[in-house]
Amino acid sequence: MKKILSLLSGLASIAIIYSGCAKEPLNNLNSDESRIYITDHDSTVSFSNYKTYSISDSVAIIDNGNSTMRLNEVDSAYINAVKKYMSQEGYTLVTKEQNPDLGVNVSHIISTTTGVISYGDYWNYYDGYWNPYYWGYPGYGYYIPYGYGVYQIKEGAIAVDILDLKNVSANNKINVIWTGLIRGSGIFDTSIADSQVKALFDQSTYLKTN
Amino acid sequence: MKKIKIIVIAISFLSFISLPASAQNGTLKLDLNYNYSIPVSGFKTDLISNTSPRGFRGGIMYAFSNKLEAGLSFGYQDYYQKYPRSIYALSKTQDVSAVLSNSIQTTTFLLKARYFPLNINTVKPYISVGAGTNLVDFKQYLGEFGSSQTSVQFLAQGGIGIMIPIGRLKTSGINVGAIYDYTPYKKLGYNNLNNVNLQAGIAFQLK
Repeated sequence: MKKILSLLSGLASIAIIYSGCAKEPLNNLNSDESRIYITDHDSTVSFSNYKTYSISDSVAIIDNGNSTMRLNEVDSAYINAVKKYMSQEGYTLVTKEQNPDLGVNVSHIISTTTGVISYGDYWNYYDGYWNPYYWGYPGYGYYIPYGYGVYQIKEGAIAVDILDLKNVSANNKINVIWTGLIRGSGIFDTSIADSQVKALFDQSTYLKTN
Repeated sequence: MKKIKIIVIAISFLSFISLPASAQNGTLKLDLNYNYSIPVSGFKTDLISNTSPRGFRGGIMYAFSNKLEAGLSFGYQDYYQKYPRSIYALSKTQDVSAVLSNSIQTTTFLLKARYFPLNINTVKPYISVGAGTNLVDFKQYLGEFGSSQTSVQFLAQGGIGIMIPIGRLKTSGINVGAIYDYTPYKKLGYNNLNNVNLQAGIAFQLK
């Protein structure tokens, strides 16, 4: 009996160690470390061929496939940050009536119906969020020439998309030539908008006028 | 690779088969050891270089003679490493900037034989071999976004150590040893989860 009790206590100790000793990776991340910045681009274009851009004056709030346009403090902070870093890379801000070479859309994605964001899914509805009419090209469709991975989504994302408006007529479509995606904890915060957008531009060294 | 597996498994089973003829003791022992694991080879260079103080090894061993015992060994180890933020290419055009975390838990079950070459009562050095399975739970996180993959891998093991008998009847003992785990892991571009382990614990007689 004594030996059986010893055996059981030994096995119980093992069970306690087993359940308690694993290090949980998510508990070892702070907010900054939780964030990821994903960028993709059309490798066939030269970004130095574009000089001017215009940016949307509000943000598309995309929630389970539905969208509304909004402009609050956080949205403004992200739009202003994009303007700042586009300017730093040499692009000149113009109004959309001045035939910009590039159009920039900022979207706030809350979630999708599937709980998974893939750019494929995201782009299936893109002209619903961003009517081509906004950029002065009614009747044209958006096209993204590069593929995307699939990422699980928990807390939403900020997407910044750059469109090729210079060659819409020649291409017969609005090509998306660069996309940046910010994901992770606490990203919908005015105070960190600048650093989040900076991260996207920092890892896109090809995104400049010269 | 296949040859090594066959040889190790063969040695383990031959250990069992050849024992009864010389069996004298017939005791059953339970081993419980704290295990400190050190990744080596591709495990260290590709996945996790941090050593792991979070693990244990145990086993139920049957003594066929004063020199030979064999039985079932089991263990658990948790490995973890967080790498500073860096930019990783996901494709030719796609990049991700992230803090990368690798988390691996291994649960091992193997047949094991232990041989005591010297008949000394105070300190008994031994060598051991074993083969079995390694249940590998591999989780990788980019920031807070993770993916996981669980698989069963082959495991071969070799070790050395000493057993120090204690107690009035010398039926219990203190174990100190080192073992090498060989685990191929041909997944996601990785090669192996080989590791060296330092362990210390106790062994006591069950019957």
